[in-house]
Amino acid sequence: MMRSRFDEQLALLNREIIEMGALCEEVISLASTALSEGDIELAAQVTPLDRIIDQKERDIETLCIRLLLQQQPVARDLRQISAALKMVTDMERIGDQADDIAEIIMSLNGRTAEEHSHINEMATATMKMVTDSVDAYVKRDISLAQAVIAYDDVVDECFVCVKKNLIKMIAANPDDGEYALALLMIAKYFERIGDHATNIAEWVVYSVTGIHKEIKI
Amino acid sequence: MRKKIFRSILVTSLAALLISLLAATGALYQYFVRIQEHQLHRELKLTARAVEDSGLVYLESLDADNLRVRITWINADGAVIYDTEAVAGEMENHADREEVRKALKYGEGSSSRRSATLTETTIYHAVKLNDGTVLRVAVSHATIIALIGGIIPMFVLAAIIVAVLAWLIAKRMTRNIVAPLDHVDLERPLENDTYEELSPFLMRIHRLHEQSENQLAQLRQKADEFNHITANMKESLVLLDEKGVILSINPAATMLFSTSQNAVGLDFLSVDRSHEISNAIHAAKSQGHAVTRVERNGRIYQFDISRIESGNEIIGLVILAFDISEQEYAERTRREFSANVSHELKTPLTSIIASAELIKNNLVKPEDMPRFVGHIHQEASRLLSLIEDIIRLSQLDEGQNIPRETVDLGALATEAVDQLRDTADQSNVQINLSVEECLLQGVPRLIHEIVYNLVGNAIKYNVDGGKVDVSVAKTRTGGILTVSDTGIGIPFEHQSRVFERFYRVDKSHSKQSGGTGLGLSIVKHAAVYSGASIALRSIPGKGTTIAVTFSAKP
Repeated sequence: MMRSRFDEQLALLNREIIEMGALCEEVISLASTALSEGDIELAAQVTPLDRIIDQKERDIETLCIRLLLQQQPVARDLRQISAALKMVTDMERIGDQADDIAEIIMSLNGRTAEEHSHINEMATATMKMVTDSVDAYVKRDISLAQAVIAYDDVVDECFVCVKKNLIKMIAANPDDGEYALALLMIAKYFERIGDHATNIAEWVVYSVTGIHKEIKI
Repeated sequence: MRKKIFRSILVTSLAALLISLLAATGALYQYFVRIQEHQLHRELKLTARAVEDSGLVYLESLDADNLRVRITWINADGAVIYDTEAVAGEMENHADREEVRKALKYGEGSSSRRSATLTETTIYHAVKLNDGTVLRVAVSHATIIALIGGIIPMFVLAAIIVAVLAWLIAKRMTRNIVAPLDHVDLERPLENDTYEELSPFLMRIHRLHEQSENQLAQLRQKADEFNHITANMKESLVLLDEKGVILSINPAATMLFSTSQNAVGLDFLSVDRSHEISNAIHAAKSQGHAVTRVERNGRIYQFDISRIESGNEIIGLVILAFDISEQEYAERTRREFSANVSHELKTPLTSIIASAELIKNNLVKPEDMPRFVGHIHQEASRLLSLIEDIIRLSQLDEGQNIPRETVDLGALATEAVDQLRDTADQSNVQINLSVEECLLQGVPRLIHEIVYNLVGNAIKYNVDGGKVDVSVAKTRTGGILTVSDTGIGIPFEHQSRVFERFYRVDKSHSKQSGGTGLGLSIVKHAAVYSGASIALRSIPGKGTTIAVTFSAKP
């Protein structure tokens, strides 16, 4: 009886995390489409979704704490709950950073990043990382999670490329410095989102194997 | 069960033991008492005779210690003359004793008295001697209660033995009863070899067995039917319980969500977590029904989500998804067509109105008048032919059942070409016709339409001094109409689209040639209606060949 209620709550936790992950995918996809098309209206849709993500984080935290206190889980259940607690923080940060990107896009007044293909590449790459990390969680797929962790290097390389391009651009056209800086900020946010996706993937590995960053905890 | 058996064996045997003991004791006691009384009687008679003969001497000669009975000699007034166990002088008067009183009165008397402890009964017998004195003998024996008291230890021992035996027997019996039950084959209850008391029980199990097997078979059949239907349907069907766990998912849905085969039991979110569908599921939960269109794998799907209720409780959701890509495409084509029609109809009208307005406001010089009127006439004719084309197309669209008859393709082609000879001469295009008789089933008007439009196009899009070859050849299954020209040809990228409505290769060209953009569309529809197929081969700058293959019996 107790166990079945516990299982029910674990299933609820699982559901909530998948929903939150789906929301993260949605905001980052909105942000990157808004960036490549210079669509301010799309960018404006990000903020309300970010609020929902924040609310989800609080809900999931409450649920996790309640589970820890009332059920005193052990072994795999404990890992799942503690991993969930860590993952929601990263997901919430992804939401915030997508929101920050959206705000910068809105300040660009419809100017797109079309001539900077590296930034769009970065956006696509981070989007893939977020989607794959959520997929890895859904399917409890360790190899997919490890692929996400490895993929972070691609995003980091992209960031270096973007930085170099922007330096060239400022040197060639000093008047456009503000625009260049805005793009740099966006690139940095994408890079951070990639890091958060990596964290999520690491916690997925932990929740399945009990090993986090090659350390058994 | 063993306890129960043990208890009943024990109770029964103890009861039997007790009853038989009591009965035996009672019967024996009665028997001994009677014998004792009889002996006492005889002894009294012997003693009386001896006392009458020898008097006190005889009594005193008796060895009092070895005597089994107590003998008392009492005077007629009740005073004790002699007693074998007590000193006569010290004894009280015995005249009021029952046996003495009876003896004095009737010559003989007896009585019995119990001792104070109830464990002994003393029987007295008295007789009146010839001299008027009374001689009494008494004997004591244990009462029945004392006797029973003596039996008790034996009885307890017997009870213990009975209890042990009962326990052993109970154990054995239980084992014997249970052993066949343990080995009963419940799958085939009637084939078991057990004792007959079990057969009603086995019979009942057999009946239950049959019943449940029937029900199971029915259920399985229903499930099979359901699976068979859902497995073969093109639409994707997913059933969820109230918590969103998948209860059933058919192969089409498995393909649609590209998930593994055994998604049953998983949370639907782990199969698809897209925002649109989650929102629709939430909406369906609160409002009962929701519809959404989602693009998946390059095709457009409509998701119909409905809540399943039982009583006032939500017990699950049905998600039905069907591919509406064609429908969407058709809708889009229709929208484009209406937009095109309005545009195409408006252009000549605007031109007519502009010319008419100029004339109305007397802004046209008399010498220019014929040109303007000619313009109005030309545009109005174009409008008319456009409207005629649209009517024809919509008739074909409606798919009205036009009666078929036997027609000669060759004759129809000749007739259409004859109608176009003037036009060809004006454009300085030469038409070569080579036909043979070719009979098929079809609608003359539609086939005429095909030939007329194709040859018309061949003339219209030709070069000055060009050539048009029209041929009708008979084949085994029907006939082939071939129209080839030496005209401008159709660029490759447009070749797949020329049969679309209002599609023009060269938009600027349209007015000059006076086409409506519907000709080939009509040809295509008429061909489809006649069951013919169209092949197009065209080289830009060289010419176009269109072959229409008819079959004799469409």
